[in-house]
Amino acid sequence: MINKKLQFIIFLIFVLSIVTVAILAPYIATHDPNEAVLTEATKAPSKEHFFGTDRMGRDLFSRVIYGTRTSLYSTLILVLSILILGGGLGIIAGYAGGATDTVIMRFADMMVSFPGMALAIAIAGVMGPSITNAVISITMVSWTKYARLARSLVLKIKHEDYIKAAFMSGTKTYNILLRYMLPSVLPTLIITAATDMGGMMLELAGFSFLGLGAQSTSIEWGYMLNEGRAYIESASWLMIYPGLAIFITVVAFNLLGDSLRDILDPQNDDQILKSKRKRVLQTERKQVKRESLA
Amino acid sequence: MRKNYKFIALLLLISICSSILIACGDKKNKNSANGPHLNFGVYNYSDSLDPATNTNSSWCGVRYGVTEGLFKFSDEVIAEPNIADTYTVSEDYKVWTLHIREGVKFSNGNDVTPTAVKDSIERLYNQTDASRGGTGNSNPDGYLIYETITADDDEGTVTITCTSPTSNIPGILAYPYFSIIDVSVADKEIVGTGPYKVAKINNGVSIELLSNEYYWNGEVPYDSVTIMFIDDSSTKAMALKSGDIDIAENITTASDLRTLSEDENYYVSIAPGVRTGNSYINYEGVLGNETLRQAIMMALDKDTMCDITVAGMYTSGISVLPSSLSYNYDKLTNPYEFNKQAAIELLDDAGIVDTDGDGWREIDGKNIDINSVTFTSRNLNEFAEAVALQLAEIGIKVTVNIRDYDTALALLNAGEFDLWTCNTLTVGVGDPQDYLGNWYSANSQNYGYYSSEKYDELYEELMLELDNDKRKDIITQLQQILINDAATIVYGYYNSSMISRAEKITGADIATIDYYWLTSKIKPIGE
Repeated sequence: MINKKLQFIIFLIFVLSIVTVAILAPYIATHDPNEAVLTEATKAPSKEHFFGTDRMGRDLFSRVIYGTRTSLYSTLILVLSILILGGGLGIIAGYAGGATDTVIMRFADMMVSFPGMALAIAIAGVMGPSITNAVISITMVSWTKYARLARSLVLKIKHEDYIKAAFMSGTKTYNILLRYMLPSVLPTLIITAATDMGGMMLELAGFSFLGLGAQSTSIEWGYMLNEGRAYIESASWLMIYPGLAIFITVVAFNLLGDSLRDILDPQNDDQILKSKRKRVLQTERKQVKRESLA
Repeated sequence: MRKNYKFIALLLLISICSSILIACGDKKNKNSANGPHLNFGVYNYSDSLDPATNTNSSWCGVRYGVTEGLFKFSDEVIAEPNIADTYTVSEDYKVWTLHIREGVKFSNGNDVTPTAVKDSIERLYNQTDASRGGTGNSNPDGYLIYETITADDDEGTVTITCTSPTSNIPGILAYPYFSIIDVSVADKEIVGTGPYKVAKINNGVSIELLSNEYYWNGEVPYDSVTIMFIDDSSTKAMALKSGDIDIAENITTASDLRTLSEDENYYVSIAPGVRTGNSYINYEGVLGNETLRQAIMMALDKDTMCDITVAGMYTSGISVLPSSLSYNYDKLTNPYEFNKQAAIELLDDAGIVDTDGDGWREIDGKNIDINSVTFTSRNLNEFAEAVALQLAEIGIKVTVNIRDYDTALALLNAGEFDLWTCNTLTVGVGDPQDYLGNWYSANSQNYGYYSSEKYDELYEELMLELDNDKRKDIITQLQQILINDAATIVYGYYNSSMISRAEKITGADIATIDYYWLTSKIKPIGE
């Protein structure tokens, strides 16, 4: 357990340092990330430009640093919106039951049958490609997982005595949902969200890479990869550094998510308890055997 | 016993795996012809080769060496006799009599008679006329409206009577719409007179061609050709390097083209462009302001954009007509030479300044935010992005919208743009009249709603003028008006390219006008 806590702290520091890079971007960046010197296009990494320059002559190091802001911010917004929308609807569906439950869950089934990319292309076609629209389309497809999770957790405790007691004592539905349902659902949802951060970040970068997310005016790693794709042979640094940035950040969030699950997951605790009980029982049995033999 | 079962199962597994591997193996050797074979990597503009289907399909037929026109453009963009070997014209330029070359056959062996030519042209008009049940989207009416067309097989002539005096019939008939196909089989397959004939079309993947044994204009060098559709330019370059293809057209990624140019294993042919890269300006939006347009012209470093940003894929220029054409480019003057400081002063003096301190200039109290629409073709998105970055330096905000071509076109037609960046062939029929009509206010295709009385007057004069010298003079004046009015942002002229493997192929030169890709001049080394 101590090892796991230590692991969690190390990964937390790892993620926090990425967040710090995002916050302190103006102090870390060596150039204005939007300053284009067209004559300095696709220059190789040097003392002047640590990661070289892109095809518009912008400093790639500064753009990768500033890109941390876009990626973290948009991923956080995405995960939060999925969490709130999916979690909220799931709790309502589970608690209300009946027609409300059927409508919400059938709607969720419908959304899950949409391929995310096809929906994103449709949304980009109607509303124009942008990071906001990419967030909206991923949210529309991904909230169902959280809704199902929240619903099943609510159903598990819905018929517990303390809920019945609260209901019978006249507690308002709003209070039951907020004070009893939400706290029991939240830890699992947070763990899921934390483990999803990396995946969502990749998905957003993928959308931008395909030109469905961030556009040329924003500084985003996925879009940088897209821009650099044509130069993979002649100016490979255009893909290497944004690619590395995505890789490091996604790994950091995945490790933190896994570590957080190890610490917070109640199921995991149950298993630990069970294995402990098993071990205790085994030693007790052995002792009994020895005593009887003696 | 059990061991035997295991052994049989293992044998079965191995045989299944080997069958799969064999089935997925190299298909290169499966061509029915055994002679020289060519793999040609191209962008897939169309699966159809029917000249009536749409513009792209008509171009593809000619590009792949399947169809040919009565006339053909030379590298100087002059229409020269091809299937028609001579012609005469009446004094009023209304009646054109074309003599059809004797001995020309379609690739199925049928003779190309004057009647076959007449039928082919009539089919084009029937197939593209919705009122006659036509479903094609090609627009031959945009180039030629004729009263009658008659064929005299004995004399070997086709006579076209135009509704109005038409001076450029050879150029018009050289346009791919008017390529000649065998109408008797047109509902089943497209059979032309080019050096190659279609063996098989794998939609979206490739087209298999075989040599045309009846070709009238010399020997056909390859027994079979595979036209491989590779839309991504970098992939095309990699396929060339790996040997999957022997030749590729238009590698548009500057870095790849540079790498191939520097490698002596590849022959890179680049033709001076007759395509102009420009941005149409919407006069009904914020860019209706003349001072703003002038400042924008002065803020753009087109030389750097063409030489560095797109790495020489374009030759920079000031006029809508390319400098390589003979329309007096040298006599044109540019009042808006690149001068960033002058652009800033011009805006400041006109009161187009940033009053709210957000870094962006305003007009009438509203932030300027130019909606720049484009698509990813021939480096257009790079121009749009470079413009946005350069205009940001003088405090003008530009939002770049990179869309797919169809969406961009819809936005253009709906007028939902401030700048619309594209690349257009300027002399499609060997004459720029049609292209210059894009700024004629009575033209429904006047994309930017530009209107100038003087321009309209001159353009109407051009439509009636038949004397070539006078036409050239009018065209020169039209170009200068557009420059003076800052009517459109011209970046430069696109240089078409053809890249081939030097040790395998000879004669792979790109034509100035990009209708001709696969010709009988492209031969295997040693032929």
